[in-house]
Amino acid sequence: MFTKFEHFAATSLMGSPQEAPPRQDGHLQFDRDWEKLAFGVAIALSKQGHYEWEEFRQTLIATIDEWESTHELDDPEWDYYQCWLSALEKIAIASGVLEAGELEQQLAQVLDCKAST
Amino acid sequence: MPSNYPGFEYDADRETVSAAKVKALESLLIEKGVITGQTVDTVLSHFESKMGPFNGAKLVARAWVDPDFKARLLADCNAACEELGFPTGMSGAEGEHMRIAENTPEVHNVIVCSLCSCYPWPTLGLPPYWFKDPTFRARVAREPRVVLSEFGVELDDSVEIRIWDTSAQIRWWVLPMRPEGTENMSEEELAALLTPEAMMGVATVKG
Repeated sequence: MFTKFEHFAATSLMGSPQEAPPRQDGHLQFDRDWEKLAFGVAIALSKQGHYEWEEFRQTLIATIDEWESTHELDDPEWDYYQCWLSALEKIAIASGVLEAGELEQQLAQVLDCKAST
Repeated sequence: MPSNYPGFEYDADRETVSAAKVKALESLLIEKGVITGQTVDTVLSHFESKMGPFNGAKLVARAWVDPDFKARLLADCNAACEELGFPTGMSGAEGEHMRIAENTPEVHNVIVCSLCSCYPWPTLGLPPYWFKDPTFRARVAREPRVVLSEFGVELDDSVEIRIWDTSAQIRWWVLPMRPEGTENMSEEELAALLTPEAMMGVATVKG
């Protein structure tokens, strides 16, 4: 029973340490600005009805499982928000919010833009 | 950005690409009219300023300086939250029927929980990882004094420890004791002393 979608979405991830986002003193812990943005976009798209939150959650869990099956459990390369971002890309395309290839194109532009400034 | 240290190049690249990718994703969605520049801020503000341990801290600080408010907080936690304009989840959201247990020189309260969704979110924020650990819960019930001392809370043998199982019906949290030597502190300064752990009963408040 939740009236706030944000609340429901975050709480639904607290089931296991594996899928729960990093937090500190009762707050979400974001180490890099892009983590915040990726977190907010994933919740916002579902809030607007582009996909069910459970679909995102399952995509995230599958992405983490895939990473864990191909890496050692103590691999220092482990990065929760890399998995989050990867899940977000997958679901954005699967739900039709983005078309495949669109993001790569935009990314190339952003990176070009960075290189030339 | 290539790093000066060989072997770290992959990381630096990955960082640049990830940051650029999220930016690209957001700008595409804005371009398509799916979201606006404000959408993400609105979502994040929910976590940063609406619901979180800062609310619990303010309630406790007010209770420390205002005995009448404290009486109201103990009698009806949700009403006291509303009095300060904090969300309680009265319309069926989490935080519904919150109750606060008061620590005294004679009684120390600790909250435990078997389901993550039973945590008093509006006042304590997101639960720490260990809180849901079945081992933690079982040990608190069996040997609370030992567990508390591991958290750095040393209680005199005369202090009674009460364990509150926070549930979907009643979401418990703890009103810690005001530390000595804080008589001249403002309400705001007092609020800054509080941690989620203190309001769960696994820490005391240091002045």
